[in-house]
Amino acid sequence: MTHAATTRVARSIDVIDAEAVRAALERCRRVVERHAAYLTRLDAVLGDGDHGDNLVIGFRAVDELLAELPADASPGEVLRAVGHRLVATVGGASGPLYGTAFLEAGARIGDAPAVQVNELAAMVQAAADGLARRGRCAVGDKTILDTLSPAAYGLDAGIAAGDPAATAYGAAVRMAARGMRSTRPLVARRGLAMRLGDRARGHLDPGAVSCLLLLRAIGGG
Amino acid sequence: MDDDREALTARVEALERERRRSFVEAQREADALFAQYQLSQLIASGGSLADLGAAVLSELVRVAGAAAGALWLGDPGGDRLDRVADVGMATSGGHHLILSDDPPQTVLVVWPPDGGALDEDGLRVAQLARHELAVAFAGARLREALEQERQELGAIVEGATDLIVQVDAEGSVVRLNRAGGRLLGIDTGLAVGRSCADVLGCEVAGAHRVEACPLAEVRAGGDPIAYRETVVRGAGGQPVQVAGSYAASAGGESVRATAILRDISAVRALEELREGFVATVSHELRTPLALIRGYAETLLNLELAPDQQRVYLERIDEATRRLTSLVDEVLDVTHLQADPLILERSNTTFDTLVARLRGDLVLGSGAERLRVQAPVDLPPVNVDVARVGQILANLVGNALKYAPDGSDVVLGAAVDADWLVVTIDDEGVGIPEDDQALVTEPFHRAWNVRESRIPGTGLGLFICRRLVEAHGGRLSLGDRPDGRPGTRANFTLPLAPAAAGVAARA
Repeated sequence: MTHAATTRVARSIDVIDAEAVRAALERCRRVVERHAAYLTRLDAVLGDGDHGDNLVIGFRAVDELLAELPADASPGEVLRAVGHRLVATVGGASGPLYGTAFLEAGARIGDAPAVQVNELAAMVQAAADGLARRGRCAVGDKTILDTLSPAAYGLDAGIAAGDPAATAYGAAVRMAARGMRSTRPLVARRGLAMRLGDRARGHLDPGAVSCLLLLRAIGGG
Repeated sequence: MDDDREALTARVEALERERRRSFVEAQREADALFAQYQLSQLIASGGSLADLGAAVLSELVRVAGAAAGALWLGDPGGDRLDRVADVGMATSGGHHLILSDDPPQTVLVVWPPDGGALDEDGLRVAQLARHELAVAFAGARLREALEQERQELGAIVEGATDLIVQVDAEGSVVRLNRAGGRLLGIDTGLAVGRSCADVLGCEVAGAHRVEACPLAEVRAGGDPIAYRETVVRGAGGQPVQVAGSYAASAGGESVRATAILRDISAVRALEELREGFVATVSHELRTPLALIRGYAETLLNLELAPDQQRVYLERIDEATRRLTSLVDEVLDVTHLQADPLILERSNTTFDTLVARLRGDLVLGSGAERLRVQAPVDLPPVNVDVARVGQILANLVGNALKYAPDGSDVVLGAAVDADWLVVTIDDEGVGIPEDDQALVTEPFHRAWNVRESRIPGTGLGLFICRRLVEAHGGRLSLGDRPDGRPGTRANFTLPLAPAAAGVAARA
């Protein structure tokens, strides 16, 4: 039921309200649960092998948070609270980084009860900027940003060109996927994978992969 | 009214500014915290000094917003600073950050980007982590030194030619080196974890009961054993005599014991050989001496008929010859073992060598038993004629000595590639199979010869082998190829260079 409703939000409705945000977050939990083992396997190569498990713990904690939040919490308030919860519950570097992304996206829209769907581009951009600042990373460092930054750019370009939100978002996810795949030949310049040097080549960055999964889930599955 | 509104607006704006300011402040604090977290994760990830230095330095350079950086570590002695990591191109005017002033000193230098400034927050992060960084680097350096020491010690243990075995408190093998694996005939990896009694097989080999194990003795707090002989089970299951030291390492519950053992069976065999030599030589010396003395005393004390006197003098002469040849042999051996042989080579023919041999034999007995079977047109050999004469006299002499009176000794020769192969066949007692490889060792005499009481020192064949080898050839003794009882001695001599060429072309 929620699934169908939010799909409509992304495809035909031109405002994002708290209900849509909550539904998107629930899809995020389901997707990380489904792909946890894969993410952990990727992380075992480059990091400490807990990325999938950590995200599952984080998004289950988000589930609990959503139940605790007042029903009339604004979309911005929900996103900021989710950011705080992710920072507090997700182990490793991905907790603070994803937490920052949600916090910054939430901070971007303040306390408006609903935001125009066009605002989504600015939200993703704010998330990417915040994450880059916090992680002191740039595109090409083999991080989450390699997926998130092309998504922000694609979304902004699509909406600026006047595309319907759903079309723009679809194109942005495709660009994000390309960005995710581009991490495979890279040498990591951030995080524990830095220690591997050239040995990091040939492996996808687990954060870049989880970011794509989350972007798809947010877009409606 | 308007004033109220303006005041209110100003108040709202001030609050909004304050909210933004505190948000940015919170962001900065969170950024610094996260930078600290990431740095501490890298520091804690350990690894080699080079890996750790490179990763941590890149992180510090990024955190400080620098364009380049370098890391210096003091050596453990504190005498100098080593540059252990570099990132980017260093310029002038770097920012020095002493991470640790206590030895080993740790110094970080970061260079700001062109026309830019360093990130003060980032520098603070590095400053805050300086103690952890210094400890991590000192730890990495220590690990490296330990690892190097471990490898060096391992190389010594593995490269040793002695068996080195270490057992734990339960008597299970913790380590067995390669030499040990070879001696015991087991895979060193598979030995680990098995009981030492099982691996060394001391009890099975008849050394001592498991309870009386020297390893257990030192493990139980006994004094180190500087030297003890024992027996272990060798690669083929046979007992192997070993000797060495035993010592316990480290006290407490997990006390281990190490044995360093050397295979002494060769030394033992050599000792037996020497004892045999002393017995043989003294016997061989005493017999003719007793004869000489006996006959001489008889001649001095009794009035004998002239023909009787002559018989006694002949006996004395014979005994003197035996003594002379014995002394010659012993001197030869001493000489052969001490000096490289200098050969006076010349080209000569097999016929010449045989003629010379016959000349020698005329003086002794049995020349008539020697038959020569060789092609007439054998190519010349390039040898020391006197030395080869010695070889032939010895081998043919042996054949005559150990074969029954009246039996033939056949001397043969044939060409094989660049070599003349000389064979001597007799119908004697033969050489037992076990002794065939050993009879050319000094002082070794085959058991059937020892029992036959035929006199000999066990040196003749050794001398022959050394002389043949000095010519580049090989000497071997074995059964006759025609299956008849007796021995075939076989040795090779180099053909004269021109002849060798002709033989090769033929």
